[in-house]
Amino acid sequence: MIYLDNAATTKMFEKGAEIYKEYACHSFFNPSANYSQAIAIAKELDSARGVLFNKLGASKGQMIFTSGATESNNLAIMGGRRNGKWEYVFSMGEHPSVYNAGKELERQGFIVHFVGLQPNGQIDYRQLESVVNEKTRLISVMHVSNETGAINDLTLVDKIRKQHCPKALLHIDGVQAFCKLDFSVDDFSADFYTISAHKFHGPKGVGALYVRNINDIKPIVFGGGQEGGYRSGTENVGGIMAMKYAVESIDICKNFEKVCKLKEIMTAILSQNNVISIINDGNFSPYILSVSFAGVNGETLMRKLQDNGVVVGMGSACSAKKSGNRILESMGKVKEEIKSHIRISFNEFLSENEVENAGKIILQTYQELWEKVK
Amino acid sequence: MRVLLLRFGELYLKGNNRNVFESVLISNIKKALVGHDFKFEKTFGRYVISSYAEKEESVLIEKLCKVFGLYSLSPAFEVEAGVDTISSVVGEVDVSGKSFKVFVKRADKTFPISSMDFAKDLGEMLLNSYNDSFVDLYNPQVEIHVDIRMNKKAYVFTQSIKCQGGLPLGVSGKGLLLLSGGIDSPVAGYLVGKRGMEFECLHFHSYPYTSELARDKVLTLAKKMSAYVGKLKVHVVSFTKVQEAIHANCSPEFMITIMRRIMMRVAERLCQQNSLGAIITGESLGQVASQTMQSMTATGVVVKRTPIFRPCIAMDKEEIIKVANEIDTYQTSVLPYEDCCTVFLPKNPVIRPTIERCEREERKLDVDALVEECLNTEEIVEIG
Repeated sequence: MIYLDNAATTKMFEKGAEIYKEYACHSFFNPSANYSQAIAIAKELDSARGVLFNKLGASKGQMIFTSGATESNNLAIMGGRRNGKWEYVFSMGEHPSVYNAGKELERQGFIVHFVGLQPNGQIDYRQLESVVNEKTRLISVMHVSNETGAINDLTLVDKIRKQHCPKALLHIDGVQAFCKLDFSVDDFSADFYTISAHKFHGPKGVGALYVRNINDIKPIVFGGGQEGGYRSGTENVGGIMAMKYAVESIDICKNFEKVCKLKEIMTAILSQNNVISIINDGNFSPYILSVSFAGVNGETLMRKLQDNGVVVGMGSACSAKKSGNRILESMGKVKEEIKSHIRISFNEFLSENEVENAGKIILQTYQELWEKVK
Repeated sequence: MRVLLLRFGELYLKGNNRNVFESVLISNIKKALVGHDFKFEKTFGRYVISSYAEKEESVLIEKLCKVFGLYSLSPAFEVEAGVDTISSVVGEVDVSGKSFKVFVKRADKTFPISSMDFAKDLGEMLLNSYNDSFVDLYNPQVEIHVDIRMNKKAYVFTQSIKCQGGLPLGVSGKGLLLLSGGIDSPVAGYLVGKRGMEFECLHFHSYPYTSELARDKVLTLAKKMSAYVGKLKVHVVSFTKVQEAIHANCSPEFMITIMRRIMMRVAERLCQQNSLGAIITGESLGQVASQTMQSMTATGVVVKRTPIFRPCIAMDKEEIIKVANEIDTYQTSVLPYEDCCTVFLPKNPVIRPTIERCEREERKLDVDALVEECLNTEEIVEIG
C-alpha cells in the first residue's frame, strides 16, 4: 500500500510510540501532583513546551497543550471572543473546526464575516481588506489549506490587519504548516497559532495553541486549573512527549526539499493526461496536491485506487455531499471539478520510486475508470 | 405480585386457525424475552408474564411492544381475588389531586359483590383517602381497572400500553425484501412483518461506485429492523458489472428501468433458491421516475412466479417518514452515502417505459449472464 493521504494523518514515529509507552507505563505520574516523580514530569512538559515554542520561532508568548487542532482552534476563537459589538473574520477556506466556530459566533449574535477565496485557493486579500475595521476583534486564517495546499500570504494578512484594525487578534490554523514549512510566527505577528501532533508523525489526540499574550484569551473548559488555568484537564503526558520527539526529529528544510521533488514527480506523471487538472498555480505546500480527474467521481476513483494499492484522500469533499464543497466552491470551481476532486498528500519518508509507481497507478486507474463511465 | 397482562388483537378473527396463530405468537413472545427470567401463563384470552425482576419491567415492556400480534399490554398487580386484597392494592393507587374512575370486571360471578357495587365501594375508599381527588365518569385522569378472573385471581392496573397489533411474525410465510438503504424499504419490511410475514433482505451494492459505508448503513438498517422481525439474513450482491454493462450498451434514459428489471430477476432467483414466497419493495406510486405505474409494469413483468408486495404503494413520503421514525430507521436512512440507484443516474430517466422498448434495450445485453454474475457475487450476512 502506498499511503498518500498524509494531510489526513501521518504514521507515528516508532520511537515516539515507545516514548508514549514509557510515559503510559513507567513515568505515568500526574504532573499536577506534588511528589517528586510528578514534579519531574511537570518539568518535562515544560521542556516540551519550550521545544514547540522554539520550532515556532516565537520571541514571546505561551504554549498551551490541548487535545488537538479542533480544541486549539476553539480555544483561540471562543476563548478569544469578547462581548460587545465586536466583529469576527474568517476565510471560507477554513477547516470545519474554525468555520463552524465562526458559525457559532454568528448564531450567538456576533457580526461575522466570511471572506471568499481566490481561484488559487488563497484568501481574497482585497475582500479581507474591505471587511476588517476598528471593530474587528479576531481574524482567523489558515496557514496552509488542508484541501488544496494553498499557502496564504500571512505577512500580507498581518499588514492589512495593522493598517485597518491594529487591535484585532490574528489566529492562524497551522495544522498543515507546522513542522512542514520554515517560518516564524513573529514573521506575521500571530497572536494564536494552532498545532496538531498527528499531522507530523506525532500521536492523535494531542496538540497545542500558541498564545502571544495570555490576557487575550479566556478558558473555555473549567476544572483543575492545568495549563495555567487556560486548559483544565490532566495533560496527555505521553502524547505531549511523543509530540516533542517528533518536533525535535523533523528537519523542516531537508524534508521540504525532498517532498518538493516528490510532488514534481507526481505532477509530471499526472500532467501526461491533459484532462487531469492540477491546482498548482500559485504558492502551494509541496505536501499537498489537489487534482480534478475530469469525467469521473473522485470518491469512486479513490476506492478503485485503494483496491489497486494507493490510498488517497478526498479532503472535505466526501463529507460535503449535501452541501457541495465549500472550499472548492469558494475558489470558483464548477460542480464537475468538485465531484472529480481528490487530494494527494505526501510525507518525507516516501521514496521517489513509490511516488512514481503511485502516479502510474493513479493515471492508469483513472483511464480505466473513465473508459467505463464515459 | 407485579405482572404484565398481554392482549392480542386479530387472532380472534382466525377461527379454526387460531391455535396455530397463538402458538406462533407465544413462541415469538418467548423469543423476544430470551435472556430474561419470567413465567408465561396463558389464561382466559390473555397472557400473563410474571416472576420477572421488577427492575427489568421497562425493558420487557419495550421488547413486548415490538412483538407483532400483540394488541396492548398492562403492567398490573396480581392478587388473590378477595374484597380486602383488592381494596388494599387499589388503595395504593395515587389519585391525589386527580379525577379518577374505577372499572370492575367480574368473570367470576361467585365473587360476593356485584361489579357496579364493588366499583362504588372502591371509589368511595379512594375519595376518603384523598380529599382532593374526585370521580369523573366521562374523562378521568386516572382509570383504575379491576379484573376478577375465573382462576380466583384479580388484576389491578391503571395503564394500557398500545403494542404493534397485526399478526404474529411467521404466520404469513416468508419473503425477500429489496433493501436499498433509503427510507422506504425498511418501512416496507416493517409493514409486511406486521402482517405476519418473515423475510430475508437483498441488497445490491455497486462498489467502487458506492462505498463500504453504504453497505454498512444497510446492515445497520437490517439490525434496526431485527428489533421487530428477529434474526435477519441479508443477501449482499454486487451490481457493478450490470450497471457498467447497461451504461455501456443501453440508452441512458433506460438505465434505471433496465437495472430494476435485472434486480427483479436476481430477486426472483434468490426467492427460488431460498424458498421465499414474495418479493417486497419500498416502491411508492409516483415517488420517482422508476415508481410510476408504467415503470412498475415494466419492472414487474420480468417476475414470473412470485408476487411483488409493495406495502408503501399508496403512502405519502411524510407517512413513510413517520413510520421510519417510529421504527428508528429514518436517521440511518438519511446518512448521505450513495446507493447503487444513484450511480450512473441519467439526467432524464424514462417515466413511462413500455415493455417492448425495455426488451429491445435488453437485447443489447446478455441478461442471463449478468443475472448469473450477480448471483455469483452473493455474500450472506446474518444479523441479530
